[in-house]
Amino acid sequence: MSTTTQGRAPEPAPAPAAEKKGLVNWVIGRLGLNATMEDQYNRIVPKHATNYIYCFGGIAFVLFVILAITGILLAAYYQPTPDTAYQSVLNISTHVQFGWWIRSIHRWSAGGMVLLVFIHTLRVFFTGAYKAPRELNWLTGVLLFLITLGFGFTGYLLPWDQKAYWATKVGTDIAGSVPVLGHFLLVTLRGGEQISAATLGRFFDLHVLVLPAIIVALLLGHFWMIRRHGISGRL
Amino acid sequence: MTRKGFLKWLIAGFGALSLAGVLYPIARFLKPPASVAGAIGQVTKVGDVASFPAGQLTPVVVNGQPAAVQNVGGKIAVYSLICTHLGCVVGISGDTFKCPCHGSDFSATGTVTHGPATLPLPTYHSQVQNGSVLVGPVDLSNAKYPAWYVGEFAG
Repeated sequence: MSTTTQGRAPEPAPAPAAEKKGLVNWVIGRLGLNATMEDQYNRIVPKHATNYIYCFGGIAFVLFVILAITGILLAAYYQPTPDTAYQSVLNISTHVQFGWWIRSIHRWSAGGMVLLVFIHTLRVFFTGAYKAPRELNWLTGVLLFLITLGFGFTGYLLPWDQKAYWATKVGTDIAGSVPVLGHFLLVTLRGGEQISAATLGRFFDLHVLVLPAIIVALLLGHFWMIRRHGISGRL
Repeated sequence: MTRKGFLKWLIAGFGALSLAGVLYPIARFLKPPASVAGAIGQVTKVGDVASFPAGQLTPVVVNGQPAAVQNVGGKIAVYSLICTHLGCVVGISGDTFKCPCHGSDFSATGTVTHGPATLPLPTYHSQVQNGSVLVGPVDLSNAKYPAWYVGEFAG
């Protein structure tokens, strides 16, 4: 509603009736997100969804955040070369202060995230939450599950001990057994015919650069869609 | 103070405490361990020759690791006190070494006299300069020392 009259400067737009106090509200106001945030705050959780089985996805995300933070910290000491990888992990666990703590949190959260993403997938499946219009969210969910397994598989090699070596040997051998594409997959994963320094470098690359970028993009899509669709109806 | 205001402060206080409880270990984690900070080419002065009685082993600390200085008629040798069996700190018994964990014994020259350890205690490079005992890096040139043992000194 413009009230400009001839010969006078245009009046400033009227301030919003009651601007909320505080830095966060100020930023939200300046970004023009008042209505959006208001909408987010006023979402009502349906009664059938106030149930612990609806928490698994959220817990998996919390574990992801913990993994990202502890992973960044571990990368401050980890060295992805065959000569120093095992020694640097040993160093983290035995000499760096709280290193054992950070590494254990990373390790246990990793296992927990795989478990919770799996249970979350089961919950979505058995409550029928994958049905129209939520098919795309189910698909991103399946990709997120596979990415999570990818994190587990690549992270397992990094300590560069016997268990890591043989797990990767078996895992990449399985990839190699795929018809037609098998050999290509095997040498691409290993960076050669055998497990070597190149394998460690590639797995480290996947674990700390490639997979994190993909999972963040997919998570944003996943969360944006759950906001668009809302929580699915009751059974 | 209103009840609501009090609760607000209480919650903020607990939040700040929890945050500090997370940030403190992270800050400590990011501070490099001392032995890593200055390991390469570091020489430690462990004391004057006179402070190490002849014919005895005197415990000292080198780069944060337990060691013992041996003085045999003015000839100085420095042994690591980390057991080559499973990494316990070896005890000094007269002029020999005795591990309290699994009963390994080492002679005055560091060789194994009783199992289960199979490898001798390593020595540190050391020399006497102006009456002080200077200790350099540990001698792990024996390739039989396993990776975990070498790691004990890597910092």
